[in-house]
Amino acid sequence: MQGLKFSIAAAAIAAGALIGGAGVPTPALAKDIIINMAAPDWLPTRFMQEEFNRSYKAKSGNNVKLVIDFIPWPSFYQRVAASLSSGEKKYQMIVTDSQWMGDFVEGGHYLKLNKYIDADPELQAVIADMHQVLKDTSSSYPYKSTNYYGFPQFPDNLVTFYRTDLFCNKKEQAAFKAKYKKALPCYYHEWQDVDWNEWGQIGEFFTRKKGSPLGDGTADDDFYGVAYQAGKGYDFSSMQVNSMVWDYGGDIWDETGTKPATGVVNSPIAVKAMEQYLDLLKWAPPVAKTGQMDIFVVQDLYMQGKVAAVVDWVGVAGPVIDKKVSRVADKSAFAQAPGARKSDGSISRFANIGGQPFVLTTWNSEEVVHEALDICKWWLSTPVQTKFVKEGGGESGMLSVLNDPAYGTWSPFSRAFADNIQWQKDIWHIPEFFPLLTEQQEQFDKAITGQISAKQALDTAAAFQDKTLKEAGRIQ
Amino acid sequence: MTTTAPFQTSDTTIAVTPAERSARGFLGWLMAPERRGALLITPAIVTLVVVNIFPLLWSYGLSFFSYNAKYITKPPRWNGLGNYIDLFTDPEVWGRFQNTAVIVVGSVFLQLVIGFLLALLFAKEFPLRRYLLMLVLAPMMLSLSAVGVFFRLFYEPTFGFIPRSVQAIHFWLTGVDEPVVILDTPVKATLAIVFADAWMWSPFVMLLVLAGLVSVPKYLYEAAEIDRASAWRRFSTITFPYIRSLLLLALLFRTIETFKIFDVPYVLTEGGPGTSTETVSVYLFRVAFNYFRTGSASALGYIVLFGVIVLTSLYLYAIQARGSAAAEPSD
Repeated sequence: MQGLKFSIAAAAIAAGALIGGAGVPTPALAKDIIINMAAPDWLPTRFMQEEFNRSYKAKSGNNVKLVIDFIPWPSFYQRVAASLSSGEKKYQMIVTDSQWMGDFVEGGHYLKLNKYIDADPELQAVIADMHQVLKDTSSSYPYKSTNYYGFPQFPDNLVTFYRTDLFCNKKEQAAFKAKYKKALPCYYHEWQDVDWNEWGQIGEFFTRKKGSPLGDGTADDDFYGVAYQAGKGYDFSSMQVNSMVWDYGGDIWDETGTKPATGVVNSPIAVKAMEQYLDLLKWAPPVAKTGQMDIFVVQDLYMQGKVAAVVDWVGVAGPVIDKKVSRVADKSAFAQAPGARKSDGSISRFANIGGQPFVLTTWNSEEVVHEALDICKWWLSTPVQTKFVKEGGGESGMLSVLNDPAYGTWSPFSRAFADNIQWQKDIWHIPEFFPLLTEQQEQFDKAITGQISAKQALDTAAAFQDKTLKEAGRIQ
Repeated sequence: MTTTAPFQTSDTTIAVTPAERSARGFLGWLMAPERRGALLITPAIVTLVVVNIFPLLWSYGLSFFSYNAKYITKPPRWNGLGNYIDLFTDPEVWGRFQNTAVIVVGSVFLQLVIGFLLALLFAKEFPLRRYLLMLVLAPMMLSLSAVGVFFRLFYEPTFGFIPRSVQAIHFWLTGVDEPVVILDTPVKATLAIVFADAWMWSPFVMLLVLAGLVSVPKYLYEAAEIDRASAWRRFSTITFPYIRSLLLLALLFRTIETFKIFDVPYVLTEGGPGTSTETVSVYLFRVAFNYFRTGSASALGYIVLFGVIVLTSLYLYAIQARGSAAAEPSD
């Protein structure tokens, strides 16, 4: 009897070894490894968690579990910064805004990945496959260097959401043509020729009082033409103002450190761009006057059918086409955001890179680092990235995915994202970014709420930037 | 070799080792009635020291250093009274104190008036009084940030209940149909915070005043009625003396709390428009967690603490005065 039991056990072990050998190598003793990751709470990170739970198998054979701490956007920076500075060492990975990179690398919290990349051909292939814009903005510190700290969890950019039932309506098109002597954009290629002046005309044209004709019916409430972010929280006005300043050829600082901010930040071009930004808010819903029109308010107003066209992140576009939460799900389309008309007639449409890279923290053991890097490789693999774009409300910055001829058809906003990515820049990629951002947001908020002019806002922001950058030794 | 000694109980004999005997002896000593009280409060005191006293002393020390908590590799640098001097000479800080003072004065005044009137109402019996009282008390049981979120939605100009109601009334009266925006100017945004805070805390004042009102002996009113005293005379000579000290307590207590107000302005206006509703607590949060000027934030925290200590002293003085007044024999 004892001999029979031994034989059965031996056969079971042998069968297990055969099965294991055919698939994932099984270590003598699989370890339970939990990777805690801080991430903003939205569709692209929710999808990652679901997909990981559904399909991830660690190559090492360990039982690896990814636990994402979903943090609301408005308090995301403070929560992560507080965790890092407290020394609690809670997170093994962090989905970080690209501009935080300098701050937390200098603080000793983010792990430099070059030695792992140098030793791993798969990671080298990942780096080679990343779009150059993402290498510069989402992965490196200093900006545009080859010191790598992260990989793109989700690259994002600002696109136009618009109502096809209005923009493609024959009556509205005829009325627009009669008033402005130009065609109302309906198709994607028509939107590619829309500049900020035309955006203002669209805003004026579609701003209607309750009971006015709208499309094939009448407006059941006051209706507004256009909207974009104008919120005091986090970076919810800087992202749009910066875009317009860049579009017109201005800048938000002197990246080379050779010139003071005064003269750059408050240059006549920057002032003109910001004046136009403020002027276009008059066609937005009244919440714009309060300085509380953040990206989620813009998204909500659009989904409730209160506004004809908005500029917002791809990351918040997913719910817009979800019939369960959006009143305009079946009558929305997406296009590139407007830009500034250049002298040759083409459009300049720079913008801040959106989305986030994920980084590893410095206190992880080598085993955890390798498991975390395996998760990065898994997430950036072509099948997972393709599924993310097709089903997850996200976009990809991997060339092998992005260059697929069908990429633009995978989601309603993929084409606009792909066309935009070459235009992306990053905000100050330095440790002092948050004080600079907070001061700029306060000044922009004063301008948005009519307390000061665009010039006064930019003059004050420039003076603060000079003081901060001089104290940090970045400018003379 | 271990020696054992028998330990006699009522129904059995148990062998006890010297180590066990020693342990029992220590426990017995520890649990002696004269030490039991100290033993029971020790966990609370240790917790208090660890989570309260130590951070307090630590941050007091940090207030004399230049330090950024984000940079764990850079040690604090001695700055003497530099942080305090910078704060006292910074017009931004004084601006935040002014914002706070305006909100404190407006909100506490409104709380006292509304709370007092509500107490007068609920001091009388009327149908459904009990249920209405529960409803009126509900706001002060809510979380502060939840109240901030509620009012942010109430004030939202496109969907919000309050602007849409005002818009409808305005249209009905004048025929002009324009959207009403509440949080677009510093004055209106400040009033919006005052209103939200008063909505939440007036029931607290009501409770205190109501306690005073129900303690007034009925025979005093009966006597006043026989004397044909007017309503005002009855209020000023009977009711008010009973609730005066409670009103003072409510005033001081609510002043201290409102002085520290953070959640409602942070959630409702984020300190805007601009910095017009940024209270000193919200500013302190920004210095600590946006700018990460940890030394300055600690110093500002102590300046706020000093303000609270002054107010608390007034509060304690008021309690003492009330106690003395109660102890004095009436004529």
